[in-house]
Amino acid sequence: MPPRDNPLTRRSFLSLVLKGSLAGSALIGLGMLVRYLNFQSEESAPSQFDLGPASDFPLGSRLPVPQAQAVVLHTDQGFSAYSLVCPHLGCLVNLTSEGFACPCHGSRFLPDGSVRNGPASSPLTALRIDENADQHLILYLH
Amino acid sequence: MRPSFYQHLHPPTIPSAQARLRYTLGAGGMAVFLTLVVGLTGILVTFYYVPTPEQAAKSIQELTFLAPFGWLMRNLHYWSAQLLVLVVLLHLLRVVFTGAYLPPRRLNYLLGLSLLVICLFMDFTGYVLRWDEGVHWALVAGTNLVKSIPLIGPGLYTFLVGSSQPGATTLIRFYAWHLFGLTILLIGIGGWHLFRVRRDGGIAVPPPELRPDAARIPRSELVRREGLAMLWATLVLVGLSIAIPAPLAPSIQEAGTSASESLAPWFFLWVQELLKLGDPFTFGVLIPLGVLLLLALVPYFSPRRLSPVELGRWFPAGGRNIQILVGVLSGAILLLTLLALLALPH
Amino acid sequence: MRRHLLLVSLLLLAIAGLALWRQSRLPRAIAITPTLTGQVEYCLTCHADLPEISQSHPVQTFGCVLCHGGEPLALDADLAHSTLRGGSNPSDLSVVEASCGGEKCHSGTPQVFRDHIQRVTTSVQATYAGAIAQVRYAFGAQPDLTARMGIYAIDGLTAFDPVQEISPAIQAFGLNCLFCHLSAQPMPSQEYDRWGGCAACHSPAPSRDDTTVHKLTTALPYTQCNKCHNRGNYSLADVQFHPRPDAPVDRLHDYYQPIAEFTRCEWTLDCADCHTRQEAMGDGHIYNNKKEIQYIRCRTCHGTLNSLPLTTTVSDPNDLALRMAFLDPVIDLKVGDTILVTDKGEPLWNIRVMPGIGNATPTYELFSKAAGQRFTFRPVMGSACQQDPDQQEARYCHECHATQR
Repeated sequence: MPPRDNPLTRRSFLSLVLKGSLAGSALIGLGMLVRYLNFQSEESAPSQFDLGPASDFPLGSRLPVPQAQAVVLHTDQGFSAYSLVCPHLGCLVNLTSEGFACPCHGSRFLPDGSVRNGPASSPLTALRIDENADQHLILYLH
Repeated sequence: MRPSFYQHLHPPTIPSAQARLRYTLGAGGMAVFLTLVVGLTGILVTFYYVPTPEQAAKSIQELTFLAPFGWLMRNLHYWSAQLLVLVVLLHLLRVVFTGAYLPPRRLNYLLGLSLLVICLFMDFTGYVLRWDEGVHWALVAGTNLVKSIPLIGPGLYTFLVGSSQPGATTLIRFYAWHLFGLTILLIGIGGWHLFRVRRDGGIAVPPPELRPDAARIPRSELVRREGLAMLWATLVLVGLSIAIPAPLAPSIQEAGTSASESLAPWFFLWVQELLKLGDPFTFGVLIPLGVLLLLALVPYFSPRRLSPVELGRWFPAGGRNIQILVGVLSGAILLLTLLALLALPH
Repeated sequence: MRRHLLLVSLLLLAIAGLALWRQSRLPRAIAITPTLTGQVEYCLTCHADLPEISQSHPVQTFGCVLCHGGEPLALDADLAHSTLRGGSNPSDLSVVEASCGGEKCHSGTPQVFRDHIQRVTTSVQATYAGAIAQVRYAFGAQPDLTARMGIYAIDGLTAFDPVQEISPAIQAFGLNCLFCHLSAQPMPSQEYDRWGGCAACHSPAPSRDDTTVHKLTTALPYTQCNKCHNRGNYSLADVQFHPRPDAPVDRLHDYYQPIAEFTRCEWTLDCADCHTRQEAMGDGHIYNNKKEIQYIRCRTCHGTLNSLPLTTTVSDPNDLALRMAFLDPVIDLKVGDTILVTDKGEPLWNIRVMPGIGNATPTYELFSKAAGQRFTFRPVMGSACQQDPDQQEARYCHECHATQR
């Protein structure tokens, strides 16, 4: 037998159902709102670039590719590429004789992309770069 | 203790007889609620809508098909807007047929009429923002109608359209009107209208000594009733939004499609039907303005015939001439709307 | 009041659930961003099972909307298809310029062989100018056989309008006989089914049970041409088309009209193996009759007693012959190969001089365009052929070489 001193009356049950369904609807509505506002439409930005003939990037060169916001290095070990986007807050870094320098908050990077000083705490992102069958360099952003 | 803002929104008690749904139809309150819904959903769809001719219809398609619950937000915005126009018209009819335009409510009546006009323009500018084939010819015809007004017509046209014919400038201007210009007017005049309701003594009632029923209901009961009405309204709105989608059509093509199936938005169908009769200015501008003027003069037509004794109920005898006038006008507009719908090719 | 509140809140919860369910029913969009347009399209959400239309029109490059039109972002079928160009066939001549045109596509310059649309729209197959001229001349509406009218007005031709014609025979011609040009609706029965425009030749016919094949090809078998050709006879006596009463099965005995004899290549090879691009698609000029544009002769491939067939050596990697061979890889054509060429300079890219054969006269190999079948043949020069140098039309070769049927 249920204890008599704390019965769930019909009134309080219905009140619970009432509040529960209102709360439920409100939560569902809130959930819909959150999903609606977080939607990201398709990115149309390209994720790879054909940089042209590999011969345009001779040995020892360090050439920027502005449309990809990246720099291509050609060393004895082959081709490598780094993003020129500063890992601190996203400004584009400049090429200097000592490496790279960010004009916004003073971060400095060595030629291999590692941090020399400055508010940035991670190095410049290394990007994948390959040579394809037509001897063109293909740069991948992701 | 000084009353809070919440307590300012409603008086401590109101007469029970006039608080009945049968009397007010809850139309005024429903209009406020629908305005809130249309405003909130409007902000939400603004997050996706792009106001350029190339992108407008596309962004609406993206909203409808790709954004999660985007179809729901758009349909809610559409349905709350259309129901708002209907409810506002219903409220106007209620006010006229219960004589609630007598002094001191004459100013408020005029404010309400202005709100009706603002609502219609809100609906029209929102309609145009779709920038798709469904609205193309309504936009062209509507703006050309403005041009037909003597003296100020061409100037007014340039003011609205921004160029010699509807294009990118028009879209951005209509966007500015829909989001800001008309909204500011709506909030300002709407706020004033609601303030005047309190100032004029609330819902129109006979003076206390002539009231057959002295019962009153407390603020809490009123709020409860309003809450219930809002819940029902939400139910209907969401139901409509799920069942019947807002209209969607391809973007306006430069190459121009035929105007064969074009219609004005439903609340202007009566004007479209009138325009079949003769020159645009007379039938498209003068007559509708005439209707508006007649409505505006309602509180001034033989005001002494209707006395405050008769307030608080439908169809008071003293207001018979007004009731007949507005009844005939409404009937005519309804008839014209039906004719326009029937003329549609099936 | 309480009951109402309870009822409406439960209903609200239910309808919120309904909205959630509706959202889950929306198809998960499949996006592609074709490289040529850079604009995202969602057509593949419903049409992902369509095969690639051809090697040279990959969907990752072209997408769907560039050729077909339509609404790229709509996931509702009616809305998405509302702005399709030409319905199921974007190559219909009424919309072909918008769908297939462009400098780098099919309405570019003749020098880079990209002027297909200009050539097709002025060709006899599209304008029907020759047939119209013949009928109008036969019934006295024009003084000679010069083409003056086409199905549509173009480049000096006016539009043929049967209603404006005085002669009832020409009016009947307009009613009964205009089923076989590129902008015509074909005759209603199944064996005549074909598309209009470019797809009339380059796409398989639409099927009746909605299993239309999404395909563009240059490997055209003779059956494709026979959607219009070899169907029967026009009679000027009653100005009617009389379709052939039989259903042709055996190509040698049944297919061609029983009024002539044919040599072996004419019933073994496909039409496209001999008839060139200019013959079928025109060369941009208006001709009065199809005989004026048809110039392929037996000697084009076989030569004469005194001359070998004309040849050219492929030297440019961008040569038209290599592009054609890429589109229909029945032959492994390379730079340095020698192929036959017509006297107008059109490359017969599927016919190659066989290298390293030590005879005085060369041997040639032909790969049929539709099936890739390989044939070898010798030229007339140095053979026992008894032809007259002044009698080089096909009918003279048929005197000896036609097969008895």
